[in-house]
Amino acid sequence: MTFDAIGIAGTGLTVHRKWLDAVADNLSNVSTVTSTDDAAFRARYVTVAEGGGDTPGAFVAGAAWGSEEGRLTYEPDHPLADQDGYVRYPDIDMSEQMGSLILAQRGYQANAAVVDRAKTAYEAALQIGK
Amino acid sequence: MFDSVTSLALQSALDGLSARQRVIAENIANINTPGYTAKRVQFEQALASSVASGEGRVAFTVARSLEPTQLNGSNVNLDTETLSNIDTVLRYQFATQAVGGEASSLRTAMRTS
Repeated sequence: MTFDAIGIAGTGLTVHRKWLDAVADNLSNVSTVTSTDDAAFRARYVTVAEGGGDTPGAFVAGAAWGSEEGRLTYEPDHPLADQDGYVRYPDIDMSEQMGSLILAQRGYQANAAVVDRAKTAYEAALQIGK
Repeated sequence: MFDSVTSLALQSALDGLSARQRVIAENIANINTPGYTAKRVQFEQALASSVASGEGRVAFTVARSLEPTQLNGSNVNLDTETLSNIDTVLRYQFATQAVGGEASSLRTAMRTS
């Protein structure tokens, strides 16, 4: 009999927390300006893979990065503006990030609920023979 | 006593239910994993026919769900998994109570005479 549902839900919690972290990082840098000589802030996307064998659950396999091209915006008064008056903003889609934020939050909650329910089952198992 | 059909069937049910619990945890952990297909634990039918033939012991099987995937590339359905999780917990409690009942009738039998 294996009692590892809590550990598996833990891997799900970790994946969604890292996703939340990435989204928070992207959102906080949505207005990070760079000069046209430098690369734009690159949005971070968490890639997830299914675990298997001895390590069941879900795991963060790595990160994918958004474009360093960003989008050029005409702001001649900006201290970082080039001769033509352009600065570089990161190419982050705010609504996409907010959507991801909710998905990650709900995923986290779903896994936390699994921990809670697994606990109930294990408590029942502790009562066997009493 | 502990290898009676009842005891063996209860043990098999507990094994199957805890495996299902584990698989539900895996499915929910992978709810946003692209390309993940949900796992399902089956043992009830096999257990029923095993009990009918007077045996009682049965092993569970794990299969992949063939439901179509959602936009995120995973076919885990949170409603189904949540319901199945609650259902499994309650069945598990039920089975543990039955095991406890078996044990207490054994104690009663030891006290008589």
